[in-house]
Amino acid sequence: MAVVQAERTTADAPTAPTKPVGDRRGRPLWVRLLPYLLVAPTLLGTAYLLVYPMVRNLLISFQKFGIGQLIRGGAEFVGIDNYREIFTDDKFWSVVGRTFVFTAINVGLIMVLSTLVALLINALDRWMRLTVMGGLVLAWAIPVLAATTVFQWLFQSQLGVVNWALVQLGFEQFDGHAWFADGRSTFAIIVVLIVWQSVPFAALTLYAAMTTVPRELYESAQIDGAGPVKIFRLITFPILRPMFGLILCLEVIWVFKSFVQIWVISQGGPGDATLTLPVYAYQIAQSLNRYDLGAAISVVTVVLLTLVLLAYFRQMFKEEGEL
Amino acid sequence: MRTRLHRRVLLNLLGLGVFAFSVFPVYWMVLTAFKPTKDIQAETPSFLPVHVTFSHFSTAVHADGFWLFWRNSAFVAVTGVLLALVVACLAAFAVARMKWKGRQAFILMVFVAQMTPWEALLIPMYVIARDTDMLDKLPTLTLIYFMMTLPFTIVTLRGFLNAIPAELEEAGQVDGCNQFQAFRRIVFPLLAPGLLSTSLFGFITAWNEFAFANLLIIKEQDQRTLPVWLSSFSNTFGTDWGATMAAATLFMLPVLLIFLVLQGRVTTGVAAGAVKG
Amino acid sequence: MSRHALATAAVAALSLTAIAACGSSDGGSDAAPGPTTIDVWLMKGSVSDDFLKRFTDDFAAKHTDVKLNVQIQEWNGIGPKIIGALASKDAPDVIEVGNTQVPQYSASGGVVDLTDKLADLKGDDWIEGLAGPGNYEGKQYGIPYYAANRVVVYRKDLFQAAGITTPPKTREEWLAATAKLNTGGNQGIYLPGQNFYVLAGFIWDEGGDLAVKDGDSWKGALSTPEALKGIEFYKQIQALGKGPKDSDEAKPTQTDVFAQGKVAQMIAVPGAAELIAQANPALKDKLGFFPIPGKAADKPGAVFTGGSDLIIPEASDAHDAAYTFIKELAGEQWQVDLAKSMKYVPNRTSLASQVGADEGTQAMAAGAANGQATPNSPNWAAVEAKNPIKEYLTKVLTGGDPAAAAKAADAIITDALNSGK
Repeated sequence: MAVVQAERTTADAPTAPTKPVGDRRGRPLWVRLLPYLLVAPTLLGTAYLLVYPMVRNLLISFQKFGIGQLIRGGAEFVGIDNYREIFTDDKFWSVVGRTFVFTAINVGLIMVLSTLVALLINALDRWMRLTVMGGLVLAWAIPVLAATTVFQWLFQSQLGVVNWALVQLGFEQFDGHAWFADGRSTFAIIVVLIVWQSVPFAALTLYAAMTTVPRELYESAQIDGAGPVKIFRLITFPILRPMFGLILCLEVIWVFKSFVQIWVISQGGPGDATLTLPVYAYQIAQSLNRYDLGAAISVVTVVLLTLVLLAYFRQMFKEEGEL
Repeated sequence: MRTRLHRRVLLNLLGLGVFAFSVFPVYWMVLTAFKPTKDIQAETPSFLPVHVTFSHFSTAVHADGFWLFWRNSAFVAVTGVLLALVVACLAAFAVARMKWKGRQAFILMVFVAQMTPWEALLIPMYVIARDTDMLDKLPTLTLIYFMMTLPFTIVTLRGFLNAIPAELEEAGQVDGCNQFQAFRRIVFPLLAPGLLSTSLFGFITAWNEFAFANLLIIKEQDQRTLPVWLSSFSNTFGTDWGATMAAATLFMLPVLLIFLVLQGRVTTGVAAGAVKG
Repeated sequence: MSRHALATAAVAALSLTAIAACGSSDGGSDAAPGPTTIDVWLMKGSVSDDFLKRFTDDFAAKHTDVKLNVQIQEWNGIGPKIIGALASKDAPDVIEVGNTQVPQYSASGGVVDLTDKLADLKGDDWIEGLAGPGNYEGKQYGIPYYAANRVVVYRKDLFQAAGITTPPKTREEWLAATAKLNTGGNQGIYLPGQNFYVLAGFIWDEGGDLAVKDGDSWKGALSTPEALKGIEFYKQIQALGKGPKDSDEAKPTQTDVFAQGKVAQMIAVPGAAELIAQANPALKDKLGFFPIPGKAADKPGAVFTGGSDLIIPEASDAHDAAYTFIKELAGEQWQVDLAKSMKYVPNRTSLASQVGADEGTQAMAAGAANGQATPNSPNWAAVEAKNPIKEYLTKVLTGGDPAAAAKAADAIITDALNSGK
């Protein structure tokens, strides 16, 4: 299995910073222009396929744009009316708050669990290790939509496997228990689903990174009488800090943007119990056909997410600068 | 000695627990696909394949358009990902191997591009496609999937490149190759597995995408993709769970196969990239 | 899940083999002489293969100047897709639209006004549940296509075993019979907690409604005393079985549950019987139908009229040819044929007598006499998309205070219906 190669490759990977090729002085013009030519396709693609639609989106957020305007055209400019409408809506702010709580809970769980799983894999024998990693890969490969359907199904109130199992274990009160009737349990099920889907990537990546930590460091620490917690705190974590940073950043982005899971399971309900920003934006845009409000909400979403990750970006910027 | 044995047993039990927890939903999906319809909604669920039937799979495979949509999906996913790979490869090389003004800003841009809330771009994308006569065309989806996967591809490829010592190329250059020849002959072979595995992520994204495929392919039914078909499927059979799960299993199969072959390298790339910062 | 569970479940059995309607269309772009090709979108389950073939053959013979290209669309994700089609430059020429969704398209300005064809199509005879939603601000955009409504599907053998000889005709009889059936591992009735069209029927029986129009604005009406009586009854009857309180009839598919053989009754369109028989052939001859009982024996319970309208997009480039098609499909000959072969209610009340009926169709027709539609607002589709009524049902059935929950649901409905004004 390929995972074996993973360990080796990673272990072999040097960690010394890469030295830029070429010397600054006396380079011909085309050499100096080369990097710009190389990133040009990316920039062009991004400009047309991302920035341009974003600008259109921004434009829509300043217009009155509903189904009529989409069909007939002639959207009229309304200034910041849409933004005023969402900002003065208490519901919007509670959605923002919930999105942050949702992201924090999920990402917290993902980071802790994936670290534990990675440490566990690291400590296992070869065969058990491959088994666990194989299981994680399966969970990772299943299409989001299929996984969501299966989860929904496991928690069905009638004929659902979870209720059946709980009743078998003696919890009679779960016979026909309606999980999706209650906001908190729906929220919890979605958290379980997202964590279940996210841990494999994070855990496998962390494990791959752990294999790059030289064994000697652990051994000498053990000789010095350090316990596992101390070893993690003093050796593993500091070495893997950039890795934790990257995974944290990616998971924050991915969880914050989670849409399919919530939409399929609860559409933001019951009540507003699982209504997060992307779901709210979609609901308003596609259900109410208020494309203008949906656009405004998505603009705010991007701004908020950028603010959340600002610290990480600044850190990255600093480190890139040192290269 | 005893404590060590205890520790081993405990660790293995934990490992089994993690395995069971991660596999069960997948197992349940595949199991359901093999169960006769009558057993699927049974009062007492059976956890082992007692009565195995292939009828759901045959229903799914013989459903109208399965192979056509399969081809369409493969086309948009593969072309989108290939395009992303080529473009990302160039950009990643510039970022990992060269020093230039604006490099930091470029990296920042790539990260910000990752945060795009794609659901929000449905309407602007539709308007743009309509006004440029790009509705009902598979290449439109190719372009969108290209853009969806490009940022992550650049980030990961950069990681892979960083993991390959620049000294190798320099050595090549000393031997008379120019920078590109050195890249092609020395770095590229080393990078190939990385390219393959990076493409997997893009492939999953493109393979699963529903909203754009549903909205931008309007009139030409022959241009639909598998996820659209999959969703229609549950209606075709009045939510026939067995057939739906069989379809989902078939749907997941190619991804799983590529995954099993390449999985390790994906994490390696990200890991290498991250350790580098 | 919107009203389509109805149409879909009704005829999934009849259309198990999906209709091959693919094939590249050349749009309607041929302005040159020769036949005009029109693209028609029908929804999954609205016609069977057989019916479609008979219809297209006949159409081709009668109208040599129009070539038909029928595509079958899926209900899932159809909303954005129809909007996308209406807004495109090259739209299909005729689209079938669910009757609860037609107002939003009519209001959008993307649909051809067909008011002047009313007489030609004998519009004064249309059934209200289809014609009403197709009419927006006095203009007719949607042309009634077909309708169907719910009845009670029951197990004759279980009724007999319980000593119930005639199907119940009033709510009291119904409750009594259902309670009697709800023993020995059998469910008296399988009614999922979120079947809000059934609730709507109970509310209409009491004289209430889901929402009422007050001048220019809408108001959710679930907290009126009439509506509260409606949910009270829903709660009573729902308790006589093990229907999930947090789910609708699609999750799990209620016909599958019924097919397990432990359910005495369920509320569905008559076509559901085919699905049950297919999943469990042993039940084939044991199924019966009766109209949902009303408050008094002489009047069956009110039911939601489900069904579809046909519209012509403004963006279509063959309005006349499209109308030719609509006139055929909505006309007498094919309406009677469709109603017979698909077990539907035809679009004109006067045609009902021509549809010689089996037991299921008869029960449906009896109920259809008291058929009603959802509030006629362009925003009603938005209410159904994130359905506050379903959540309201779940809250009440799991022990919540009906008055408070109704008030909360009303606020959401009011908000959604008045949004964008």
